[in-house]
Amino acid sequence: MKLMRKIFSADKNVSYGRTIPGGIRPRAHKITSLRSRVMATPIPPVLIIPLNQQQGKASRPCVKAGDRVLKYQKIAEAADDSSLNIHAPSSGVVSMIQNHTTININAANQLCIFIETDGIDEEVPIPDTLDWRGMTSEQLLPVISNAGICGMGGAGFPLSKKIDSAIIPDIHTLIINAVECEPFITADQALIREHADEVIQGAQILQHAINAKRCLLAIESDKTDAIEALSNYADRDSIKLLLLDNKYPAGGERQLIQAATGKELPAGHLPAEAGIYVQNAGTVFSIYKAVVENKPCISRVTTLTGEALQTPKNFNALVGTQVSWLFDLCGIDNKTHSKSVAGGSLMGIELMDNSAPISQSTNCLIAGSLSEFPDIMPEQACIRCGYCANACPSGLLPQQLLAYSRCEEDELLAQQGLFDCIECGACSYVCPSSIPLVQYYRSSKERIISARQKKETSQAWQNRFQYHQYRIKKLKDEALSRTSAKPVIDKQQSADDPFSKEQAALEVAAAVARVKAKKGNVIASSAATDGSQSDGEPTA
Amino acid sequence: MITSSPFQHGKQTVGDIMSLVIIACIPGICISTWHFGYGLILNILLATSSALAFEAACLLMRHRSLLALKDNSALLTAVLLAISIPPGSPWWLVISGSFVAIVMVKHIYGGLGQNPFNPAMVAYVFLLLSFPLDMTSWHLPIALENLTGGSAETDINLASLSPLSWQRLKLSVLAALPFLSTFYENPQSAIGMIDGMAMATPLIEYKMAGNSAILASRDAGQDIFSRQSGTGWELTNLSYLLGGLFLLYKRIISWHIPFSIIATLGVISFLFYAPNSSTVFGTPYLHLLGSATMIGAFFIATDPVSAATGNNAKIVYGIIIGLSIYSIRVWGSYLDSVALAVLFGNFCAPLLDHYFRPRVYGHGKQGNSGSTLRKPLLSLGDKIES
Repeated sequence: MKLMRKIFSADKNVSYGRTIPGGIRPRAHKITSLRSRVMATPIPPVLIIPLNQQQGKASRPCVKAGDRVLKYQKIAEAADDSSLNIHAPSSGVVSMIQNHTTININAANQLCIFIETDGIDEEVPIPDTLDWRGMTSEQLLPVISNAGICGMGGAGFPLSKKIDSAIIPDIHTLIINAVECEPFITADQALIREHADEVIQGAQILQHAINAKRCLLAIESDKTDAIEALSNYADRDSIKLLLLDNKYPAGGERQLIQAATGKELPAGHLPAEAGIYVQNAGTVFSIYKAVVENKPCISRVTTLTGEALQTPKNFNALVGTQVSWLFDLCGIDNKTHSKSVAGGSLMGIELMDNSAPISQSTNCLIAGSLSEFPDIMPEQACIRCGYCANACPSGLLPQQLLAYSRCEEDELLAQQGLFDCIECGACSYVCPSSIPLVQYYRSSKERIISARQKKETSQAWQNRFQYHQYRIKKLKDEALSRTSAKPVIDKQQSADDPFSKEQAALEVAAAVARVKAKKGNVIASSAATDGSQSDGEPTA
Repeated sequence: MITSSPFQHGKQTVGDIMSLVIIACIPGICISTWHFGYGLILNILLATSSALAFEAACLLMRHRSLLALKDNSALLTAVLLAISIPPGSPWWLVISGSFVAIVMVKHIYGGLGQNPFNPAMVAYVFLLLSFPLDMTSWHLPIALENLTGGSAETDINLASLSPLSWQRLKLSVLAALPFLSTFYENPQSAIGMIDGMAMATPLIEYKMAGNSAILASRDAGQDIFSRQSGTGWELTNLSYLLGGLFLLYKRIISWHIPFSIIATLGVISFLFYAPNSSTVFGTPYLHLLGSATMIGAFFIATDPVSAATGNNAKIVYGIIIGLSIYSIRVWGSYLDSVALAVLFGNFCAPLLDHYFRPRVYGHGKQGNSGSTLRKPLLSLGDKIES
């Protein structure tokens, strides 16, 4: 950082991020995979393309088994704005569409399109390149959305959704996240080192599309090669470099905003609501390809590293390539290989099945040895040393949360900010008693959410039952009144049938209102915080 | 077995932390020994061996793995207890102290990490209440010369002996293990030693007599780095300060607790001190270096288990301890007060942890953190993009 300050002391286009509170400085394990240049993989014999690569809905396949597909051909369509268009990464024949293990945590076993590649790599005709500078944001955004790009930082937030929330007119800052603070991952660094021009252009396109006033490209100050590549472009237009102290998790979205602006994003708000839009460097590279070259997103730069690989390096790998095939490409040594991890060592997930394909959000694959990922130490007693609290970037007290997690004090957990935990794992990293703190928080979150859902479901069923009883009673009453009433009126009533649509709709609405009122009452009596103080007992 | 992230871990374990704290005690122990003789070393040997035995017994009775001995926490408790018990105390004093610390205070409450109070300090207070005479007299071989004057040792000029000499060691062992005197040529002399040799800490001296050797020697311009300065307290305190700075450097402890204790004590003793008056308040110099302040601030109050944990809470915790040290010393009836003050701090710690919570990211004042209860699902999507 000091060195960088010296080098760029006179450069107005370089700014320095504030140091985030907490955080850790783990061993980086980055050098080995940065030794060689980014390489495109050969075409794998089979591509398994997951239909759900992001947080959102699965796409709908628009090809069927036996179809021949060409490279860049659309093979699945977005179901809504939370899902993606998916394009064939290479030419071949769709052999089947069935479930397969994938890396996505939200959908571990999901529907995938299997393509047996033919090695010809025949492309669909590509339209001419676009002049994005002459386009309005209304014209640009669909182009970007249709290219099927999702956030490539690891969490896999679909870009179209991110962009939707970004159209809020008062977006003023675009931050390109190339921080990559997590150990082992070097994909963004390698990408910028070798394709700085494209990344910068992608950032400019995005800035143009969302009408952001300024654009910051955030990167850790020790990534000298990438910074050098960028500094040739940084003075162009409005893109500024933001150099950050190398501290994990400075690249977390909320932490990055804090480092860049000095302000915290209010809890429960999206960055766009604060006028800030954060996008990963790999994503803007894909945007560049989608807009300038008119090619949809079919590949990404992925780091293959770990001591069990003979030649760790960054690959520009096709989406759908199997992990085991990539590992073989790097010469995996099965004797030293002990654990496969997708993502970095602090937030990644362990791969149980190496036949899983990579998706757009797979930024790193680690074939770790026992020395890199040692066996878990037995959990010891918490001595309340507070190292975890000092490491927490969110200002939580992990040791207190642990105590509450253990005795399932859900109310207290939520009060103390369990849901503000970003699961960065810094607390578990520093814990001298090797307590898997993050796992406790994850299971507590899951428990609280499922309990809440269960409560909601039972409430819904209760409402239905109450309405059911109300309806039966009403029918009975009406039957009674019909038999006792005069036949003339009966006829009139039959014209005004109680089961006619309008009548039914009205009654349903009335019943729902009553039930709602009752529900409000129940909630009010259980938790005095609820404002809807209604005494609307169902009168039926 | 499937494991979840993080897969990479820091290397420091509880055992490492505890052993670093013990290592940081070594300069203080060395200076003490150099000054006062072997009493402290004997205390430490007795306390550590008995504490390890009690710890092992408790672990076995609680059906826990004996591997937990490797966390070195019993060892550290024993060392801290041994340092606070006056050198030259009899064996049963030390061993009953370590029994109270390990069994009563630590394991009965659920073992490591569960005790609400600092085990060494509870044991110290227990001994202070049960055996007040033994706990306030510092039995020192250096005082032997007056007693042994007419006994079998007449031929040896004790006054000329260094505190580290063989003869002194023999006497120290006799003081610690008085039953050995039955094998001794002149049992009377050994028993006599236990009763008579006493030496108070400078602060006690000052409180009782209005002046102390430490101040007298300072006024006389004597070098604190020689044994002739009368007491070794300043040097001992400075060496514990050195050990504490080592712990700070190693990031084993944070600066909050020691700094706020020392600053509070320094400021309040400065404010109350009136030069040339015959009050009992004592100078800041005496308060900081004339008693157990440094070891209390760096080694005892920073015990993580019983201390407050948040950084703000730690500062308030230190202020509370600093104020209590001063008020117990000056206005209380107990002579030295670090143990009582730390225990008082322990009482306050849970409350401090509750009220001085750090502000959670993205929340305004502390009160707002409850809002997550209503809209938690929004923050679920905030995975790190790194």
